[in-house]
Amino acid sequence: MIEAARVRAAQRGDSVAMNDVLDALTPYVGKICGPIALADGPDAAQEALIAIFRGLHSLQEPAALFGWARAIAVREAVRVARRGQRQQPAELADVPAADDPQLAIDVQDVLERLSPEHRAVLVLRDLEGLDEQAAAAVLDVPPGTAKSRLHRARVSFRKAWRS
Amino acid sequence: MNWPQVELTDVERFRALAAGVPGAAVTERVLPYEPGQVKAMLADLDVFAEIHADLESATLLERDGDRVVVRAKGARGQRARLEGQFRPGWCWLQSRFVIIGTAVAAEPGGGTRVALTGGIRVPGRAAIVPIRVRQESAKTLDRLQRLLEG
Repeated sequence: MIEAARVRAAQRGDSVAMNDVLDALTPYVGKICGPIALADGPDAAQEALIAIFRGLHSLQEPAALFGWARAIAVREAVRVARRGQRQQPAELADVPAADDPQLAIDVQDVLERLSPEHRAVLVLRDLEGLDEQAAAAVLDVPPGTAKSRLHRARVSFRKAWRS
Repeated sequence: MNWPQVELTDVERFRALAAGVPGAAVTERVLPYEPGQVKAMLADLDVFAEIHADLESATLLERDGDRVVVRAKGARGQRARLEGQFRPGWCWLQSRFVIIGTAVAAEPGGGTRVALTGGIRVPGRAAIVPIRVRQESAKTLDRLQRLLEG
């Protein structure tokens, strides 16, 4: 975490305070970008941080730093992953059972077979613990559409995971 | 679930930080030396002063972990109180009139990538006057390379 006063100092032009913001945000941005962008994760995290620092002055409330950065990280991770075109169509019936001893390895495998948007939903719901409405806001899609989409994504994933 | 995570190198982090500082063009070069060797050299304030053309000396005034205060003396007698983060592989220092940054990372395939930026700070702002930033950084890298060559 980082004190609001340091975030304000960074916004006012103190580049050492910006360095502090970088230290605070880098692990968090890496945590968001990794599961969404996968092999393109380092590119996505770097581009997300670039977007964050270019836009830092526009952050209204320093206390909202991490939520604001999360939205940028998700957007950049989806964009970079799509650009990389490494994703393949989801075949959810193929995912392993929850008690599979290779689960840790298979998580990566499962994620690789989902679209970046699908991975973004899972990250926001399962890793970040956001509710559907908040996740929809981050993904910048209409609430009604988002709700059904998020619901389908979650149910599909769980169903496949337990099969 | 074990979610895959990303760990960025210091050079990747450096590019992001510099992106938030208008005028802070980043110059990078891959040097044919081990990262440990390059980091050790850049962690020496005498080397720091030697490779930056405008500096005559740099003296450590305070240190708290990787946070430092350095008194820098310029070649034309000017003085600056630089504050910031200074650790092996990373340097980000500012005074009212100067910003200096360096980052180091192992290069896949061998060697060490060094990234630099710095110059005259727009007073009170996170911005560098965009005059000769790349040229000065290239000269600084030349001097570092000569020191590494011994």
